[in-house]
Amino acid sequence: MTVTASKTVSPGRLLTQVAGERQTGVLVVGGHPGGAVYVLEGRVVYAESPAAPGVGELLVASGRLAARTWQNALDLGTSTARVGRLLVEQGHLTQGELELCVLGAIYDAAYFALSPAAAPVDFLTGATHWLGPVVHVDPAAVNREVGRRVGLLDEIFPDARVDTHAVAPVTRPPRERVTLTSAQWELLVNADGQRTPADLALLLGRAGYATVQELRRMAALGLIEVPEVRVESPEFVRLPQARGTAVDVRRPVVRPDEAPATPVVEARASVPAPAPQPPPDPPRHSLTEDSGANQVTYRPPRLARRKPGAKLPKEMAGEPPPVHQGTDEVLLKRIRTALRALR
Amino acid sequence: MPGVDHCLQEAMAIPGAVGASIVDYTTGFPVATTGAAPNSDHEAAAAGTADVVQAANSRSLYVSALPHDLLEDLIITTAGGYHLLRMLRTDFDSRLVLYVWLDRVQGNLAVARRRMQKLADELVAS
Repeated sequence: MTVTASKTVSPGRLLTQVAGERQTGVLVVGGHPGGAVYVLEGRVVYAESPAAPGVGELLVASGRLAARTWQNALDLGTSTARVGRLLVEQGHLTQGELELCVLGAIYDAAYFALSPAAAPVDFLTGATHWLGPVVHVDPAAVNREVGRRVGLLDEIFPDARVDTHAVAPVTRPPRERVTLTSAQWELLVNADGQRTPADLALLLGRAGYATVQELRRMAALGLIEVPEVRVESPEFVRLPQARGTAVDVRRPVVRPDEAPATPVVEARASVPAPAPQPPPDPPRHSLTEDSGANQVTYRPPRLARRKPGAKLPKEMAGEPPPVHQGTDEVLLKRIRTALRALR
Repeated sequence: MPGVDHCLQEAMAIPGAVGASIVDYTTGFPVATTGAAPNSDHEAAAAGTADVVQAANSRSLYVSALPHDLLEDLIITTAGGYHLLRMLRTDFDSRLVLYVWLDRVQGNLAVARRRMQKLADELVAS
């Protein structure tokens, strides 16, 4: 097995070259998202990319195969590179289904692997894929189709940032009436502002390119946010984790499911039993007594006794409230209860 | 075991069939082809096929409001031929259509439609 030195070239051109020499191996494309194209005697037999669900993900996410069936085929067939054939021989898939699924996966992954004009590319001679050869595709057809797909996307909405950024639906559509296809509905319902198009494709078991295509269509309709150019605002995306580190390690751990919406009122009711010594202590202190392990090390900050209803001193009250993670959930539950009461 | 090539061979055995292909209608790409194509260009035919399917699938005029009342096939007739498009429904994610081009004189629309239905079912059903 020889490895060509990693060089920055056009992946499509290198594919044409190795295909012309009727080589066998894998073209590994670096960069983002990157991918790999498997070639057997000059013909493309498989392709994969992190942005495109593979055959296994497609079959399992759709429910066509049970995860266990797929795993069994992997266990049995990986070493001999006949996973695909096993699935057909064991009657889990028809030959037609397998071929169509593999063909779809090849063109899908090839789009992500081969569309960059230049990327770090390696060719590992002799490498084969564990799926085994199911279909043989002319590399020229793959290259041509990749180029066509790039053009198609730009016709819909010429902004490639939509393809990789986390998907966020607009809160208010810019039109009176919105018509969605079922694929678009699926994407919007599962877009939570954190998932990227690749995440959504994997989650839903949908082709990566088709996902990007629908997202571009929705961006053109103004239904999803087009990512801003400035990316340097990560604090908008991931909120709660960073603050947790600032909390005193000796603080009692309050699990979110235990944290009531109105901690002061509810916890105060439970104070007398476990904490006999300082009855009017703030409620969190009594929780440490329950947790036991850190009752020796944890000394509650000495506070002046307050009048009923008085606020905590600023340095105490200013800390992030321990109920933070659960807040949304609790708030939602309260809204739900209120709505039920209205029925 | 019927694979894609076998399916297309069978499609060509339909009386009057001139050409057949399986087309990915999101991208307008012929996944597999056999026989002749209008203007002898399978890729252009596939792109046109994709446009037709997209139009029928996305315009509310043709989309049924009933649940599970999905598009089955599209039939376009010309003076010289029939163009039949049959949706291939796979359990996994794919957007494929079986396209058969028939000669008008030798082809029989009803026979061809039934044969294509059978082919599409055999290709993906176990």
